[in-house]
Amino acid sequence: MRGRGAKIAGVLPLFTLFMAGAISAFEDIERLRIWPLPAEVSHGGRRMYLSGDFKLVTEGSKYEDTTGILKEGFDRMLDVVRLSHVVSGGRNSSRSGGSALLQGLHVIISSSTDELEYGEDESYKLVVPSPEKPSYAHLEAKSVYGALHGLQTFSQLCHFNLKKKVIEILMTPWNITDQPRFSYRGLLIDTSRHYLPLPVIKNVIDSMTYAKLNVLHWHIVDTQSFPLEIPSYPKLWNGAYSSSQRYTFDDAAEIVNYAQRRGIHVLAEIDVPGHALSWGKGYPSLWPSKNCQEPLDVSSNFTFKVIDGILSDFSKIFKFKFVHLGGDEVNTTCWSATPRIAQWLKKHRMSEEEAYQYFVLRAQKIALSHGYETINWEETFNNFGSKLNPKTVVHNWLGTGVVERVTASGLRCIVSNQDKWYLDHIDAPWQGFYDNEPLQDIKDKKQQSLVLGGEVCMWGEHIDASDIEQTIWPRAAAAAERLWTPYAKLATNPDKVTTRLAHFRCLLNQRGVAAAPLVGGGRVVPLEPGSCLAQ
Amino acid sequence: MSPNLLLLLLLLLMFFSLSITSSLSSPSPADSPPYLWPLPAEFSFGNETLSVDPAVALIVAGHGGGSPIVRAAFERYMGMIFKHASGRASLLARIRFLRMVEYDITSLKIVVHSGSEELQLGVDESYTLMVSKKDEQSIVGAVTIEANTVYGALRGLETFSQLCAFDYLTQSVQIYKAPWYIQDKPRFQYRGLLIDTSRHYLPIDVIKQIIESMSFAKLNVLHWHIVDEQSFPLETPTYPNLWKGAYSRWERYTVEDASEIVRFAKMRGINVMPEVDVPGHAESWGTGYPDLWPSLSCREPLDVTKNFTFDVISGILADMRKIFPFELFHLGGDEVNTDCWKNTTHVKEWLQGRNFTTKDAYKYFVLRAQQIAISKNWTPVNWEETFSSFGKYLDPRTVVHNWLVSDICQKAVAKGFRCIFSNQGYWYLDHLDVPWDEVYNTEPLHGINETSHQKLVIGGEVCMWGETADTSVVLQTIWPRAAAAAERMWSTREAVSKGNITLTALPRLHYFRCLLNNRGVPAAPVDNFYARRPPSGPGSCYAQ
Repeated sequence: MRGRGAKIAGVLPLFTLFMAGAISAFEDIERLRIWPLPAEVSHGGRRMYLSGDFKLVTEGSKYEDTTGILKEGFDRMLDVVRLSHVVSGGRNSSRSGGSALLQGLHVIISSSTDELEYGEDESYKLVVPSPEKPSYAHLEAKSVYGALHGLQTFSQLCHFNLKKKVIEILMTPWNITDQPRFSYRGLLIDTSRHYLPLPVIKNVIDSMTYAKLNVLHWHIVDTQSFPLEIPSYPKLWNGAYSSSQRYTFDDAAEIVNYAQRRGIHVLAEIDVPGHALSWGKGYPSLWPSKNCQEPLDVSSNFTFKVIDGILSDFSKIFKFKFVHLGGDEVNTTCWSATPRIAQWLKKHRMSEEEAYQYFVLRAQKIALSHGYETINWEETFNNFGSKLNPKTVVHNWLGTGVVERVTASGLRCIVSNQDKWYLDHIDAPWQGFYDNEPLQDIKDKKQQSLVLGGEVCMWGEHIDASDIEQTIWPRAAAAAERLWTPYAKLATNPDKVTTRLAHFRCLLNQRGVAAAPLVGGGRVVPLEPGSCLAQ
Repeated sequence: MSPNLLLLLLLLLMFFSLSITSSLSSPSPADSPPYLWPLPAEFSFGNETLSVDPAVALIVAGHGGGSPIVRAAFERYMGMIFKHASGRASLLARIRFLRMVEYDITSLKIVVHSGSEELQLGVDESYTLMVSKKDEQSIVGAVTIEANTVYGALRGLETFSQLCAFDYLTQSVQIYKAPWYIQDKPRFQYRGLLIDTSRHYLPIDVIKQIIESMSFAKLNVLHWHIVDEQSFPLETPTYPNLWKGAYSRWERYTVEDASEIVRFAKMRGINVMPEVDVPGHAESWGTGYPDLWPSLSCREPLDVTKNFTFDVISGILADMRKIFPFELFHLGGDEVNTDCWKNTTHVKEWLQGRNFTTKDAYKYFVLRAQQIAISKNWTPVNWEETFSSFGKYLDPRTVVHNWLVSDICQKAVAKGFRCIFSNQGYWYLDHLDVPWDEVYNTEPLHGINETSHQKLVIGGEVCMWGETADTSVVLQTIWPRAAAAAERMWSTREAVSKGNITLTALPRLHYFRCLLNNRGVPAAPVDNFYARRPPSGPGSCYAQ
């Protein structure tokens, strides 16, 4: 009996939301079950059915899709829509829908190119007609990547009709105009603390598209292991955990390609000089000494030659305009403790602190020489912000107030404050992820425009292939709405969106993503039997 | 620099890095023991390394060779074996191209003698697998799988895929320790995994992920505990209100969904055994048909007095017969608390009228349900309480399903019944405090010494009850412990019983868990005492 009482208590908050009588505009939006919420939505009350051979039509589109990005995106959309149940109802005849039958989706894209450019237009306009004006839904976008977002939204309008056993769209006609609030909506994965096999990374990328995230921040290397092949310095991946826990150069190119075809940038990171012990497994001279192995030896030109080699190789596969150079948590004790380096410091009249600055700035110059703009963790700004290259993007993680100071100094910023947006904090509840406002306390418009966006971080100390999905989801989705949806449309009380987020979590489950329950706070397992929608 | 000089330098570089890599302290397939899971019945190997052509050709022979099941499995396994980005641009691929080096293995021959694709209990799953370098004698190709049925061929393909490893230096797929000769067959014909879609709904895609992962460990029965007191997710055309007992409209299976699951499982050589657990675990039936409850305030077990109750069971079984071709049907029969029968006036009167105790009524219910199943050409499976309560009345064809008492199979087979072993102390996957070695060391034939009795133990099953396992954690609660039971049920008893399992099994299980991860299955760390816990810290998959 105790268990049963608890069950009802768990369900109650959701059902009260369901039953709330008078439908305000806000509650109407919450009933739409679209995540993240589009900028503008209007809908009617009619039902339409998807034809059994629902088609992609592109007449009038300037984009020729020679690379198949749109066609693949369309096919993926249909696949996930049909994943929930076997569609066995009348295939295409008028019997299953009559005039309410949607024949396909007409996609018109005005840009002919499919270069994935950071900050490009991701907007789209989606119209699903009512039964009086049947035949095709319409999707317009500037770029094919905006159209991909539109396809995601379309997939969330589709439901399975259990009687007719066909796909239906309720509440037509739909008019949706949408674009993201922030251009940088990231998720960090960490393949150094635990190796993540390729299919796992691909699954993460696919799940990101459902929540319209657009940057995979790949923290490739750290103290523990160096899994990536670097052709210029082929012994670096001797620092991998084992001969099989590695990514070939081609694997990395494949991940970038896989992500790009889904509109997702891959931000590669090498975290220098403080998180780089594993580099020395292949090249021990990168260590200050055998028994003092971190940070990288600042005194040796070879260190910077290796960084140059890595970034040169990176520039062949990581096409994103940014590269992440880390720069956090640098404990410089090894430098003064190693006589050779202590001597070098003395000769160059540098303190440890100045050597840290020297290292970061020299690494920045190397990155710039390969055409990258650099991102660094916030300690670099906190310690020598005025010396950073003006193209630097400062990546917040530690404190609050940093974003304000960074943008006041004219630099750009990405928000990842650890108290709210670190996914490895497994007791951090989804409400905190939803609530975390990147523009908190930033009133100046120009400063606001310097906040590129935010990122949730899935650090890998306790995360491997077995628990990554449920640690990321559904909490990353809460942040994704914060980053996508116009500020005015966001709920001031996160609990108001519980029903809609629970629905999105169940949608992820249906698509094979192991998103965890909402009830219980943080990353939890279900406490008892019950409906996905109520947990 | 001339191309030849460049080539030479590249080669030198490679050999240099080879010598470095061999010093890595990690398991490599080149080390012993052979990293196969479950361990084949008989095998021998050599000391050669063979490369496998990414464009390896499928050659089929025998009456069943042309089966679409074989072709589809071949395509699946090629996808798994060659999952790294093609090494076209890689160093060695270029060298190979320049030197026109041939791969050692360019074709895979699959011989299937029988043309029948019927999948039933006891289907022949044996196979032989030979891997050797091509020479004048073996014009048939370098790899041959020979089996009596397509399902044996599937098991052989799984073993073949476990011999293949991606080599990061040459960036090609290699088979170490060739030539291989493997002759294999399962110890038990029934190797099951239970899933529970009543306590938590599992989406179709998730059930498919589970089925796919079962095939990697050579499990062959998915016991689908579809319905229980919490929810009734399956469509039953004859009684269309039954699935009103689902948690929600979104948490349901149509008839076509269920058929698709059966089809998907069959393509992987896995039978689906459905269960309706009567009369004790059926409260959700009454959401659609309240007459099935003894009363509105006392809802379980099902009302034993009404013919309607048995009409509904008959209707469900008739509908399910069209979906599930497997010969076994599970009727549950466990944990029947008959208080509601005693406390409901009309049921109490009915009992008095027939001079029934509640226990008599329980027996009456189970036996009547058995006859319905038998009339539909099904062999009934029942949980062990039915045997311990009124064993001598059970239909002699009954398969007794153990869960509660450790020696129940011993008793059941002594009475001539067949038995499935699922001792809850070790093989209930929802018990999180049972580490892999306890699962592994649990022997279904323990205490059963007569050969004729041993034969009646058709196998065992690990049970993934769903109270605290939904989509978000089901796979990591199943794996890797289900694999420990899978080897117990597949490999020879000698192989799994002798020696120190920390040496004979643990390194292979580590390897298999990482293989599952590499195939996208979120198998949890092996070494944690509690199941499905996260890794304790940074580290190699092979060491956690």
